[in-house]
Amino acid sequence: MSSALISGRSGLRNSSSRVAFLILVLGFFGLQNSAFLSSASILAVFQGLVFVGIASVFLTILITSGEFDISVGANAALSGTIAAYFVVRGDHEPWNGPSSTYNPDGEHVSPFIGLLIGALVGAVIGFINAAVVLLGKVPSFIATIGMLFAAKSLATYIPEGKPIRGYYDHGRASNPDLFNSFFVKNLSIIIFLVLLVIGHVILKRMNFGRVVAAIGSNKEAARTSGVQVAKMKAVLFVATGAGAGLAGAVSVFHFGAIYFSLGSGWELTAIAAIVLGGTSLFGGRGTIIGLIYGLFLMQSIASGMVSVGIDPWWQTVITGAIVLFTLVIERVRERFK
Amino acid sequence: MATKQSFALEMKDISKSFGNTVALRNVNLKVSRGSVHGLIGQNGAGKSTLMKILSGLYSHDTYEGLTFVDGKEVKLKSALDAQAVGIAIVPQEITVADTLSVADNLLLPALNEGRSKLYRASANLEKAKLVLKDFDIALDASALAATLTLVQKQILMIARALSLNPEVLVLDEPTSSLTGDEIENLFGVVHSLRERGIATVFITHKMDEILTLCDFVSILRDGEVVFEGERSVFDADILVSKMIGRNLGDLYPQKNKMELKSDVVFEVENLHVPDPKRRGKALLEPFSFELRRGEILGIGGLVGSGRTEILKTIFGEYRKLGGKIRSGGNEVTVQNIQDAIGNGIGYLTEDRKVEGLFFNLRVKQNFSASVLHLLSRFDFLIKVLENRKVREYVEKLRVKPQDSNAPLTSLSGGNQQKVVLGKSLMTEPKILLLDEPTKGVDIASKAEIYRTMVNYAESGVSIVLVSSEFPELLAMSNRVLVFRNGKMIGEVEGKLENERDLMLMSIGGSK
Repeated sequence: MSSALISGRSGLRNSSSRVAFLILVLGFFGLQNSAFLSSASILAVFQGLVFVGIASVFLTILITSGEFDISVGANAALSGTIAAYFVVRGDHEPWNGPSSTYNPDGEHVSPFIGLLIGALVGAVIGFINAAVVLLGKVPSFIATIGMLFAAKSLATYIPEGKPIRGYYDHGRASNPDLFNSFFVKNLSIIIFLVLLVIGHVILKRMNFGRVVAAIGSNKEAARTSGVQVAKMKAVLFVATGAGAGLAGAVSVFHFGAIYFSLGSGWELTAIAAIVLGGTSLFGGRGTIIGLIYGLFLMQSIASGMVSVGIDPWWQTVITGAIVLFTLVIERVRERFK
Repeated sequence: MATKQSFALEMKDISKSFGNTVALRNVNLKVSRGSVHGLIGQNGAGKSTLMKILSGLYSHDTYEGLTFVDGKEVKLKSALDAQAVGIAIVPQEITVADTLSVADNLLLPALNEGRSKLYRASANLEKAKLVLKDFDIALDASALAATLTLVQKQILMIARALSLNPEVLVLDEPTSSLTGDEIENLFGVVHSLRERGIATVFITHKMDEILTLCDFVSILRDGEVVFEGERSVFDADILVSKMIGRNLGDLYPQKNKMELKSDVVFEVENLHVPDPKRRGKALLEPFSFELRRGEILGIGGLVGSGRTEILKTIFGEYRKLGGKIRSGGNEVTVQNIQDAIGNGIGYLTEDRKVEGLFFNLRVKQNFSASVLHLLSRFDFLIKVLENRKVREYVEKLRVKPQDSNAPLTSLSGGNQQKVVLGKSLMTEPKILLLDEPTKGVDIASKAEIYRTMVNYAESGVSIVLVSSEFPELLAMSNRVLVFRNGKMIGEVEGKLENERDLMLMSIGGSK
């Protein structure tokens, strides 16, 4: 059992109070507006966190290794844009195009292939991050801020600041049954759940996860144990990039369109959720279960405030305050343990 | 059956240079199975370079010479290569992953090798327990590594290396943070390695460890092997003279005798030292002492007897729970470090890596950091003043290299320690608190530090000295206060002959 047991034990103690806090938040908004606790509303909360969630899974593992990627949102925007470009261009000029002009004679790329393209572009961005950080010895926080600006600008520049629409016009026309099926309608949620399982297995059920935690906890300990630290980190950067790219493509897939503002602020939501969940920002300790809690808490607060009609200008202030409050509480508890 | 007697490890004609600097010149090292091979030399003699070659950190194409393990030539490119051919290195720095369990740390090499496999918690725990039991190591495999003491972490690192079943085990100054029983414990482990036929390379600064433990010794000086021989052909005098090129005789300077009739300049009365881990609780029973002008007062006891905490309380880093501090006959208030410095108290930390130095800065900036206000006019740092002051101390302490613009990291451990000492001396304290001033320092630097201490004592500065090395404590101090089990239990006169008494008082009871 070893550390699994230990972290499990303290994890349990933590998680009971965390669940209590989440219920408190949900209950508070539920009392204000009973519609908030309807299943449709809860589902909407869940749907709302899926995209940033997909981008957060491998980011959690990367942070566990002691590195950082703040470019996930911009990565999603650029990867989603490029994926959409390839899927849509057979039908109409990608941007400037009307919302729906299916062209049966065009060269078509399946929307499913579009998801792969998104992940691939994301992986390339992750690879560049890895090269800058690991070969260029630039701290990952700074390096990926650079990538954030570059990717964000490209995602705006390529479509000239215009939205790309009609992502599955072709798919829907050629195979209407498939595109109206439960599977396709809920594909984003399915992908998210699959990634969560994969992430959890990697981090907690595979030796790989222990090695990652060791790297984040004490790089030299890992190195003297024969771990090829840079190689491992490179893999994690690429995986994080691929996850972010996939998140962008999944978003296009879900909404059928993409606008360059996609992914704005994801990096902050993702990092807040990851840390709220109990992953250490300094590396060495990471949890996917905690990530789910963090995402759910962030999204519940955001949706709850909408449902009780709080002034949108105040919403982000309140979110920020709650994040700071919970983090301080957790740090204080940790210190007195 | 082994036909010919090949060595477990043989390094042949190893030469390596960095630019124009020759780090190693035709070094040969032969280590037999089942022997403990001492590798000694001062800092900068080339030990680290040789070990980096052996551990694969320097790729085989960056130096000349050959390495054989078990008679077979190996070409090492990475730490992984070294591990694969049976070379395991236990570095001097504590490298343990705190957020993992002891078992996970222990099996980290295996976990890494099988990182695509599922993590089997209970199987790993059993495996780890077996390794620990096999080598008779008393560690709880399921404990979180963060809960271990420094010593336990050191032992965990050795266990981790042993879990690889190495042919050759390299221990790089494994005792630098251990004392008494703990060292014995470690020696027990090393003895069992000998019985198992493992070749152990033991790197150390400490003479008694070589004499009690090593079957063979190689001495490096300026990148060359200047001596090699079996246990029967060397003694302490030979080792020291080969290492430093002169005799041990003048390692400890003559003490300052004038203190006996000098006046009391500093007094501690009923000092309540707090326990840093338990808020509001005392670590030690209250105690008092007087310090005369020019006196060197030793504080003895084992690690954990509260020695560091005493110094930190006097220095105001820990808030005292009660008691009085008098300087020059008047009671002084020491609530924090600023108060202490203001009252002429200087402190040298035991842990130069964490508390003592700025590793990203230059030698000069390290020196002047604590006295910037003295080197400034209208809050602007006057470079001329800084350069003059730093040069004075670089010369006084004989820091090498003499270039005060050199990056701190380019200095050897001994010279870094001189910088830490210089930092506390620059505040021109009347009372100097020294916590392990020669920890992890080579013999030549030790001699310099001793000389500096006596010079200051003779100029009227009073020193409180904490040291785990009993000979050092006795030779340098006029008298030694001994602490055990949370209280001050007595005093020993500072004479080398009193080592046995000091040891008995520190560990308690008779042996």
